[in-house]
Amino acid sequence: MGVNKDSTPEPQIARDATYYRAPDALRTRVRAALREEAREQARPQMWRWGGMAAAFALVSVMSWNLALMRAGGGEEDRILRDVAAAHVRSLMVEGHLNDVASTDQHTVKPWFEGKLDFAPVVNDFAASGFTLMGGRLDYLDGHPAAALTYRHRLHVVNLFEWPAAAGAGDAAPVALTRHGYVLAHWRRAGIEYWAVSDVATEDLLALARLLS
Amino acid sequence: MSRLSRFEEVVLPHLDAAYNLARWLTRNDHDAEDVVQEAFLRAMRYFERLKGTEARPWLLAIVRNTCYTWLEKNRPGDLVGLDDAGPLASDVETAGHASPTESNPEVILLQSANRKLVNQALEELPVGYREVIVMREIEDLSYKEIAAIAGIPAGTVMSRLARGRGLLREAIESRMRKAS
Repeated sequence: MGVNKDSTPEPQIARDATYYRAPDALRTRVRAALREEAREQARPQMWRWGGMAAAFALVSVMSWNLALMRAGGGEEDRILRDVAAAHVRSLMVEGHLNDVASTDQHTVKPWFEGKLDFAPVVNDFAASGFTLMGGRLDYLDGHPAAALTYRHRLHVVNLFEWPAAAGAGDAAPVALTRHGYVLAHWRRAGIEYWAVSDVATEDLLALARLLS
Repeated sequence: MSRLSRFEEVVLPHLDAAYNLARWLTRNDHDAEDVVQEAFLRAMRYFERLKGTEARPWLLAIVRNTCYTWLEKNRPGDLVGLDDAGPLASDVETAGHASPTESNPEVILLQSANRKLVNQALEELPVGYREVIVMREIEDLSYKEIAAIAGIPAGTVMSRLARGRGLLREAIESRMRKAS
């Protein structure tokens, strides 16, 4: 391969330097993102306008359901719809957001005791820009779930947690966009996490990373 | 065949190459994964532009661009200008590196020491040298391909390679001296 007279022994970079192979989790994540992108591209533009503000929340939920019915709606779609609809619902009426309103994780975490069959992970990440607002109970994907709410600048983030199926391994965060909302999913230490908000994808993934 | 399945068939096989380059440029697993996901989404948007050209260099050009955008935003200090007009690195004589092929424990130990040394020294090279070395030595791309990916003339690829190798060799030697 040498093109010049350089015959000095080279550090054998090809042999000694690491070839970083893509982790399996990345493969899964990229494929999911591509599938999502393909779906978004295939869908009429107007569906993306749904749910830009709380005032249009109801319209948004309806168009959402319609769009998903059109898309065929597999299991993943059903979860996406559940998670997004729960987010929209939580913002529709004042007082729906939190059953326990507190920025103190030591107040919020014990509130869930006896209400769920697992201990949700509750942390305040105010230092990283995600201030805990409180929590409530919700019901998603056929599970009672802990819903934690965070404020990120002017945006509300809903974070849902429920127990993963037995034996399910950890999964790195995957972010998806749906009609102006960003959703992220990951799995860590036996808990399924879904976060949803109208923040930038990167910001939601930042929260995901704090928890994964 | 749908556009997505064509993309998956043509471009997805180069995921390792994409990750390897992103990992060497960002020097971090998490960041490399984010950059790769972003690059694949961009690649899919521009898939029509691939048309018959080789997928791997085409994808790597997108990965590299995405990496640079990311570096500008998150680690602007990494983006130092290179003095391509300067003289090539002097031909420093390297003490004969053992190039053992046997697999006795001592050799394996030495190999893994080399690996660590080379990895660290390569990570610390300025990104402009690091990327051409990674593409040439680890990814085995041709000068022409590297020139197209990095958007520089083939002559500059060669001089950066020569200089980068020289710097790498010096860095490895000084590390070895310190270690012994």
